[in-house]
Amino acid sequence: MGLRKVLGLGLALAKAEFKLRNEGSFIGILWYLLNPVLMFVLLLLVFSDRLGGNIPSYPLYILLGIIIFNFFQKVTVESTKAIYDHRSIIKSIKFPNEVLVLSLIFKFLFAHVFEIVIFSVVLIIFNGSLASMLAYPLILILFLFFCYGVSLFLSSATIYLTDMDNIWRFLSMLLWFATPIFYAIEGQERLLLFNSINPLFYFITAARDMIIYGRIPEMWIVGGCIASALASLAIGIAAFNMLKKRIPELI
Amino acid sequence: MKSTIEVQGVTKAFNMGVARSMGSLARIVSFLSDRTPKKRICVLRNVSLKVKPGEIIGVVGKNASGKSTLMRILAGIYSADSGVVRTDGKIVSLIGLNIGLKERLTMKDNIFLCCSLFGLPQKTIRKRFNSIVEFSELEDYVGTKIYQFSEGTRQRLAFSIAVHCNPEILLLDEVFEVGDKWFREKCSKRIRGLARKGACILFVSHELDMVKKHCSRTIWLDKGRIVKDGPCEEVLKEYVKSTQR
Repeated sequence: MGLRKVLGLGLALAKAEFKLRNEGSFIGILWYLLNPVLMFVLLLLVFSDRLGGNIPSYPLYILLGIIIFNFFQKVTVESTKAIYDHRSIIKSIKFPNEVLVLSLIFKFLFAHVFEIVIFSVVLIIFNGSLASMLAYPLILILFLFFCYGVSLFLSSATIYLTDMDNIWRFLSMLLWFATPIFYAIEGQERLLLFNSINPLFYFITAARDMIIYGRIPEMWIVGGCIASALASLAIGIAAFNMLKKRIPELI
Repeated sequence: MKSTIEVQGVTKAFNMGVARSMGSLARIVSFLSDRTPKKRICVLRNVSLKVKPGEIIGVVGKNASGKSTLMRILAGIYSADSGVVRTDGKIVSLIGLNIGLKERLTMKDNIFLCCSLFGLPQKTIRKRFNSIVEFSELEDYVGTKIYQFSEGTRQRLAFSIAVHCNPEILLLDEVFEVGDKWFREKCSKRIRGLARKGACILFVSHELDMVKKHCSRTIWLDKGRIVKDGPCEEVLKEYVKSTQR
């Protein structure tokens, strides 16, 4: 199946999943937005005095962190079930199973766009420049590759190790606290050391630098984003190709 | 269209859960981890067959004789442990009516989704949409969700989608077990039409009358082996005799 057909199938699956997700729901798409917005309000109320004092544009700092992390968490957590949930199709039709992961990226990208619209509104409220949002697609493309790679790995690994689903839920929760979403890591040696190997730190920092603070991120941050995206993609594709052969038999 | 299938010495085994007497500790571990003792069971043994362009072949056999596994190997869903499978032509598989129909989506959405899974571009799906609906004779249910469909109407829709996706090799696994006589007749005509154009058609069925009606050749599988491969009448006669024993 050519790339165009793969993308077309990914979009068709994403569209179907999106319709299913909102089926019978009175507020539909708003459910996607409720989570980050409520989390934002809560964190802002609790931490703005204690942790946000030294962070410029703290509300924007939190909201962008939440939105980016939220996308990563939703895609990767759902990817652990992506193959198993479509077992009847996989056992009946031959098609590139990677498309199921790709469709997750498309599905959550659609919701992400709505979150970005909300962020843009908050950006205007806090006197930020909308022009800086133009730089976001550069980060987003690398970030999508990163998420796709991680999801490919998780989706195939879960078939061989069922516990991966629970392990990843727990790990992603730990990652939420370890990533500087509602606090800054300047001056905290241990956290800085951990975050130097945390890809999300690079993506969130680069996005904040470009959008909120209107500056070009430092080279090591940009390098971290590129390296994370390429490494994740390479590992994800290699793992999926290695494990996919027996997937239809194991589900 | 000149499609062919060639299978040589294909063997396939699965690790399957089996009941085995266990000690107390093993029972506790099995209960907590939901893991059962497994045994490697051979489902297909040294299966070889050739299908020429335009042939319609019936595959018969008792349950668990390896028919669906053979279909999945031909479709490229499972890979064989040993042996060679060569197929030439676009494969469309309809295995137990599972073509990815989503219960909570409408018939229209399902047509677009399933045709995409069979590799049709959106533009082509739009062009063939009316023809798919017309063939299935479900014009009044285009906006209805699939969970409200009976097994028979699902079969109509699934078959209609499959034959509109340019099959050069059509694999049908127990798809005629639920449909009505009138629609079966319509499907028969379509299958013969595809065969005339050079498509290879294999269909697994317990409906021996259907097999007799369509197939010039039939393969009888039992415990993963081909017991007999030959003229339909001859094979079915022996198969029926064996089931009466």
